[in-house]
Amino acid sequence: MVENRSLGQKLDWAVYITFFVVVLCLPLLTDDVFWLNRISKFLVFGLLGLAIALSWGYAGVLNLGQGLFFGLGAYMFAMSLKLKSTTSLQQGSDKPVPDFMVWNAEPGSPTELCCIVPGSWLWLPFQSQTFGMIMAIVLPIVVAFVVGSAIFRLRVSGVYVAIITLALVLLVRLLIIDAQPITNGFNGLTDLGWLELFGIEFDPYMYETYYLVAVSCCLIMLAARWLVSTRAGLILQSTRDDANRSRYLGYDVAAYQIFFFVVSAAIAGFAGMLYVVAAEFASPTFLDISFSISMVVWAAVGGRSSLIGAVIGAVLINSIEASVSETEIFKEAWKLIIGVIFIFVVLLLPRGIAGVARDFARWLEDKHLLSTSKRG
Amino acid sequence: MSNILFIGLSLSSILLLIALGLSITYGAMGVINMAHGELVMIGAYTAVLSGLYLNLNLFLALPLAFLVSAGVGLAVERVIIRRLYGRIIDTLLATWGVAILLQQLIRLEFGLSFFNIHVDGLGPGFQSFPIPAFLSENFDIFGFTVQPYRSFIIVLTIALTFLTWFLMYRTSLGTQVRAIMRNPQMAAACGIDVNRISAWTFAYGSGLAGVAGVLLAGFKAVIPDMGESVVVDGFLVVVVGGVGSLFGTLLSAAVLGQINGVFAILTNDIVARAIVFGVVIFLILLRPNGLFGFKSR
Repeated sequence: MVENRSLGQKLDWAVYITFFVVVLCLPLLTDDVFWLNRISKFLVFGLLGLAIALSWGYAGVLNLGQGLFFGLGAYMFAMSLKLKSTTSLQQGSDKPVPDFMVWNAEPGSPTELCCIVPGSWLWLPFQSQTFGMIMAIVLPIVVAFVVGSAIFRLRVSGVYVAIITLALVLLVRLLIIDAQPITNGFNGLTDLGWLELFGIEFDPYMYETYYLVAVSCCLIMLAARWLVSTRAGLILQSTRDDANRSRYLGYDVAAYQIFFFVVSAAIAGFAGMLYVVAAEFASPTFLDISFSISMVVWAAVGGRSSLIGAVIGAVLINSIEASVSETEIFKEAWKLIIGVIFIFVVLLLPRGIAGVARDFARWLEDKHLLSTSKRG
Repeated sequence: MSNILFIGLSLSSILLLIALGLSITYGAMGVINMAHGELVMIGAYTAVLSGLYLNLNLFLALPLAFLVSAGVGLAVERVIIRRLYGRIIDTLLATWGVAILLQQLIRLEFGLSFFNIHVDGLGPGFQSFPIPAFLSENFDIFGFTVQPYRSFIIVLTIALTFLTWFLMYRTSLGTQVRAIMRNPQMAAACGIDVNRISAWTFAYGSGLAGVAGVLLAGFKAVIPDMGESVVVDGFLVVVVGGVGSLFGTLLSAAVLGQINGVFAILTNDIVARAIVFGVVIFLILLRPNGLFGFKSR
């Protein structure tokens, strides 16, 4: 039995290492920076799949509003990058002012960030890029903590969590659209500057940006993997399987649920920030329901209870989508195929690709054991 | 003031119309049918197509759309949902796939657009459905402007709600459905054919979605993804009202519709919707079982 488990774990690590090697060596194989930029976006989506797998697979909490945290992270960081763009510096003030604020301003209002449109002073601290980076993680954490505390302390569970998070992401999306003068409404934040870190400028179409995303992605995967193997991670899984029993055993179930809800939100917020670096925009579409549900689809196809499965699911689905989406009609047909795949996965492979891989590994093991016992 | 209430009332009646079918499929059968919006969309397209090709008017399109949506719903239940009873989250995911599938079928004109064949009334663009002239012209009674189409929707919604109530609480079929709601195993042990009743119930709920689609088609643009926003609203109404409670659904549709209507006038449409979502979150947090829900299934 012990031997079995170690073989399964070996295989698991083999998958992780293969994935890391492939991801980190990819730039050596190609000099098509456009393609690399695409892959870096998909790796960001991989992080979103990971965040879903963490909350859905390990905590049993289906968050249909993960886009909220992704969107908040993206917006916070995009605000900083917007102020760094050259157009923001050319609006007739010595301090940067976003161009859309000038369009929205009442005639006669000063071209200053403090008071050009009502509420624009909120942008003032974002002149520091570091502030934007910190807020991109801190705001999702704070929101997730407040929401998570409300949900889990009141012992709301199952499908109601899904409905609340769904309503929440829609609520925030509407607020962002309604605050047109300071968020640019439907259009979102475009025409951003580049991230500058330790004297390096991250041009989205250069290797630096790819490596920034790829290394972050690998590190977060390792950290998440470690986190679920700790004592806290094991207790979390016990609360998923039977919350009441864990409660009787003396564990503060809500505390574990809140903690992992917050971790998953922080990952999504960080992913939002990385996405802004690679894609150079933030828009309310990040908070669309269909995007949040897509994340769940990626995680489900990859395997909801496997962190790396969810990452691979996200990268795989998006890569296929990108390669068939060259023409409009194939793009629509691909959506149709995704719908069918999804029904198929839920009905026949509820554990996704990772589940198939595990079954295959077990089958190999059994065969191996059988042959060794015969020999013996 | 009465005008504001009327706007709220008509918003409520549309919410109720959409939620009515859901309160049956979700409430009675524990299926989160994300494709409910697409069944509404199919109802709307049935109206458009029957108007174009069969020259049917609104009143004939209503029963036809009921049958078409019920048929699609029945097929979805037989092929997919049947295998997922008791796995509520999985029903949500699988029916999301169904929703995409149905949307794309309409958008791609059932695949014909690959062969450059265009079918009038299908495809990605906007479609419109003309309503009869006598329902579209406002008239005044005692200084109060009556919008006949909105009034028609309200009256029809009330009638359908009453019909649903009658079916659920005054017929033997309804008794069986309610038995399944409370405890499917026990119901089966008492000799109820759970499979058959579930299929019919699901078809009925889907048919109601089709009727809602025809009515929506009268004042909204008919597009393949019109169901997406509709389904979320429907769910919020059902969950706030309480799963399995027809009266709860009625009340929550009335309350949420009025809130939406009043705040849309005080502020704007976007803020009004945001407030509705806020109220919904608050209510679910306070009463996860809804205003009139019962525990356990």
